[in-house]
Amino acid sequence: MIEELAVLAQWHNVRFMAEGLWITLRISVLTIVFSFILGTLLGVMRYTNHWLLARVAAVYIEGFRASPLILLILLFRFTMPLKPVNSGTLAMTLFTAAIVGEIVRGGLNSVDKGQWEAARSQGFTWWQTMRYIVLPQALRKMIPPLTGQFITVVKDTSYVWVTGVQELTGKGVIILGKHGSTIQFFAIFGMIGLIYYVLCLAINRIGLWQENRMSWLTH
Amino acid sequence: MKRKWGVVIATILAAAVLAGCGGQSQSQAPASTPAAGGSGEAASALPAQVQKIKDAGVLKVGVKEDVPKFGYLDPAKGVHEGMEIDLARRIAKEIFGDETKVQFTGVNAKTRGPALDNGEIDLVIATFTITEERKNSWNFSDPYFTDHVGFLVLADSGIESWKDLDGKTIGVAQSASTRAALTQQAEEDGIKVEFMEFATYPEIKAALDSGRVHAFSVDQSILWGYKDDKNVMLPDKFAPQEYGIATKKSNTELAEFVNNIINDMKASGEMDQLYEKWGLK
Amino acid sequence: MDRFAAFKWQALFKDWHILLEGLGRTASTAGLALLLALALGVLFGVLATAPWRSGRSVSRLYVSLIQNTPLVTQVFFLYYALPHFDIMLPTPVVGVLGLGVYHGAYVTEVVRAGIQAIHRGQLEAALSQGFSYVQAMRYVILPQAAQIVLPPMTNQAVALIKNSSILAMISGGDLMFQADSWSASTGYYGPAYLTVWAIYFAICFPLAQVARRWEERVRLSRGGEVTAA
Repeated sequence: MIEELAVLAQWHNVRFMAEGLWITLRISVLTIVFSFILGTLLGVMRYTNHWLLARVAAVYIEGFRASPLILLILLFRFTMPLKPVNSGTLAMTLFTAAIVGEIVRGGLNSVDKGQWEAARSQGFTWWQTMRYIVLPQALRKMIPPLTGQFITVVKDTSYVWVTGVQELTGKGVIILGKHGSTIQFFAIFGMIGLIYYVLCLAINRIGLWQENRMSWLTH
Repeated sequence: MKRKWGVVIATILAAAVLAGCGGQSQSQAPASTPAAGGSGEAASALPAQVQKIKDAGVLKVGVKEDVPKFGYLDPAKGVHEGMEIDLARRIAKEIFGDETKVQFTGVNAKTRGPALDNGEIDLVIATFTITEERKNSWNFSDPYFTDHVGFLVLADSGIESWKDLDGKTIGVAQSASTRAALTQQAEEDGIKVEFMEFATYPEIKAALDSGRVHAFSVDQSILWGYKDDKNVMLPDKFAPQEYGIATKKSNTELAEFVNNIINDMKASGEMDQLYEKWGLK
Repeated sequence: MDRFAAFKWQALFKDWHILLEGLGRTASTAGLALLLALALGVLFGVLATAPWRSGRSVSRLYVSLIQNTPLVTQVFFLYYALPHFDIMLPTPVVGVLGLGVYHGAYVTEVVRAGIQAIHRGQLEAALSQGFSYVQAMRYVILPQAAQIVLPPMTNQAVALIKNSSILAMISGGDLMFQADSWSASTGYYGPAYLTVWAIYFAICFPLAQVARRWEERVRLSRGGEVTAA
């Protein structure tokens, strides 16, 4: 039994899994960063009452929100001339941006309308009000759901495995194919589960830290 | 207005990152030189499509990474090796005069076709069985190897032959030619089997190990990569599987070019040398 | 775009019953999983606000463990690893169990927030009237919490329907799997994936809209207080 575990712990296996972790991290970070940018844009667009901007944002958001992520990943993989890693990241980014868009809109909505009037009466333009008064306040409200969503991003990277991208879960499955004894199964699953758990907790921590930071600033 | 510019810049950045994130250089170091290329110099005037590849500087080939002797990426060594790898190098040599100008992309049964259609790769040399239906979608060279469908079962399952699989579940890969071949054979032999489909071979192996399927069925050459001391290969084999090199439907010149190389190799005995090198046939 | 050639669409129409079977499996799995998630959510949500330390810990453990590991990992575990313990759950059961337990963790949080949104005085009043904790929950708190909790539940239902596509990764016969399988064997993935996208959209979009309107109504009726989501 011990030898079986020792087989797993060989350096090339560890390195193999580490490569998978690296891919997972890369996809996660790219998705989080770009979906945040795009999502904020979408949220603001939908918040405005502009006939075109709001509509475009709404169509985008509702369209992507009603689609399963696996489907988007497969669809993008098979119709775009990108490497699977990139089409997967793109699918995740566009999908997550839609959800971030809703969170941002919710955050903006939660800021008291009085802030707008006060700012306008002081001579701020719409954009200035948004940028200096409203968004910062909305941001604080948005952190918990955003943290939750970004945790989900890390978890959802495991879906990219359906297109053959060897992120953490994929590497795990491949190793499973080579080493199939019971104890090895559990060792591999346990390891993978633990790694995801730690990653998610870390993001949670970061989120809480940001929340605390912000409440200092706005009070 | 300003925020829109921010968005435009960000979008351009995103596109740049996505595009630039490529270039994950697959192993290009030739670990083993194939049998000396028989046909001397590269053709004096390459067909246009082949010229395009030459201009691109590298031949992009989709190969298997989990089939020992055919297309295998050993995690310990980190290089691609196998008979199909050698074929790819041989073709590269024909185009560039240099067999190291190949970029390998790992594919599986499901992704090899679409990757070809996408333009991600120029050729597929990945235990791709030639079938009439597939010919509708891609060009195939003449066969470079013939294999058969086989079965792996757990040693203690008590299953000893194809007929024992009556009423049992067989794990197959999506998009592999296995399911169709087995369905036909089952009809002929008057037995009934169920199928479970998976996207990759490791998943089928895991299903076999956990008892989700009673047998793992695919070309025998692929099965050998998953044989261990807990499973056995059934003696039955049928449905000859002829492997061909596949190209995108519109790349007819490339297809012809490749086909000529294959036939040259067969005629000159180079193909047999390749088999011998890898202990095949 | 020969990926979407006409003859490929025709082939899909000929085999439309394959997609229909998949849709049936998706619907049944999602429905049962939703019930399971609801049951687990209420159970652990009540536990999370109970006066018993052990109850609160168990609830927190459940939520933490399930919310911080991917659904894929959980389902793969049920599917590939459990049989090694001689627990061979049929594939549909794996789907329902995996989805139910996963979403149950999220419903737990929703229920917990809903309960906590009810004024504490209600609980005290009920207890002082002689209700036991469980009775107070059942007759006083939960009915009110239900009003707050149901709209976000609809959102969870939408998420659950989308996540049912996980069955495609374990040969589960749902809509996604059927599309995947069919397009893998024919090579006509364009029409298959687009059609399935349309189907998921046709189901999820209206549901999401209903959830949104409902949430708005509840929010306004409670005087603009923050909802449980």
